[in-house]
Amino acid sequence: MSRAPASSAGKQQTLDLSTLSIQNLSAVKKQLDEELEHLTASFQKLRTAQAKFRECVKSIQNGVNPGVEGKTILIPLTQSLYIPGKLEDAGNVLVDVGTGYYVEKTTEKAIAFYNDKIKTVGNNLDELEKIVTQKTQNAKVVEDVLRQKVLQANATSTS
Amino acid sequence: MANVQQLSDEYSDLQKKLQDVIEARQKLDAQLSENQAVQKEFKTLDADANIYKLIGPTLIKQDKDEAVMNVDKRLDFIEKEIKRIEGQISEFSEASEKKKTEIMQIQMQQQQQAQAQQK
Repeated sequence: MSRAPASSAGKQQTLDLSTLSIQNLSAVKKQLDEELEHLTASFQKLRTAQAKFRECVKSIQNGVNPGVEGKTILIPLTQSLYIPGKLEDAGNVLVDVGTGYYVEKTTEKAIAFYNDKIKTVGNNLDELEKIVTQKTQNAKVVEDVLRQKVLQANATSTS
Repeated sequence: MANVQQLSDEYSDLQKKLQDVIEARQKLDAQLSENQAVQKEFKTLDADANIYKLIGPTLIKQDKDEAVMNVDKRLDFIEKEIKRIEGQISEFSEASEKKKTEIMQIQMQQQQQAQAQQK
C-alpha cells in the first residue's frame, strides 16, 4: 500500500543521493534490501500458487472426464492409504473459490476458472517483476554512491 | 540521560505498536482481496448454482442469496476495520515521529552543552 509513495520518494532520493551521509545511505540501502527480500518472497509465493492452479487444471483434464466414468479408481484417504471407488459424476466438480466457499461447476467452467486465476496471477507476477527490477536498480545506485562516499571518507582521513 | 533512555524506550514501544497495526492492515488487505474475488465469482454464477460452505470438516449447502449476503457483509466489516486500523496507523506514526524529534532535540542540547563545556 505504501509502494507508490516509496517509489516516488526513491526517485527524489536518487537525485540528491550524493548529499546524504554514509549513515543515511546505508539506512536507505538496508531498507531497499529488506523491501527486495519481501518482494522476491512474494514473487516466489505467487509462482507456487500459479503452479498449484495449473496442477488443478491438469487434474481435471486427466482425472475427471467421461472416459473415467464407471471405471474403478483409487481414492487417497491419506498419502499412503487408498480405497477403490467409482466416479459417479464426471461432468461436475467442486471448486474452492476462497474464504471457505465451494461452488459446483462443470469441468469446462472449472478449467476456465482456473485458467482465469492463472492469468490473473501471471499479470501480478509481471507487475511484480517490473517492481523488483526497478528496486534492484535503485539498490545498485545507492550501493554505488555509498561505496564512493566510503572511499572518499577513507581518502580524506588518510591524507 | 535517564530522560533520553525513557524517551527512546517509549519510541521503540511506539514503533512496535506501529509495526503490529501495519501487519494487521496487511492481513485485512489479503482478506479484502480474497472476499472481493469470491464476490466477483458469485456474480458470474447462475442463481441456482450449488454453493457449499466449509464448516469445520464438512461442506454445508447454502443458498446463493445467503452466500452473497454473507460475503457482502464480510466485505463491509473488513472495509470498516481497515478504516479503523488506518486511523491507528496514522495515530501511531504521528506519535512516534513526535517522539523522534523530541529525542533528537534533547540529544542536540546535550551535544551543545558538551561543546560549551569543552570551550
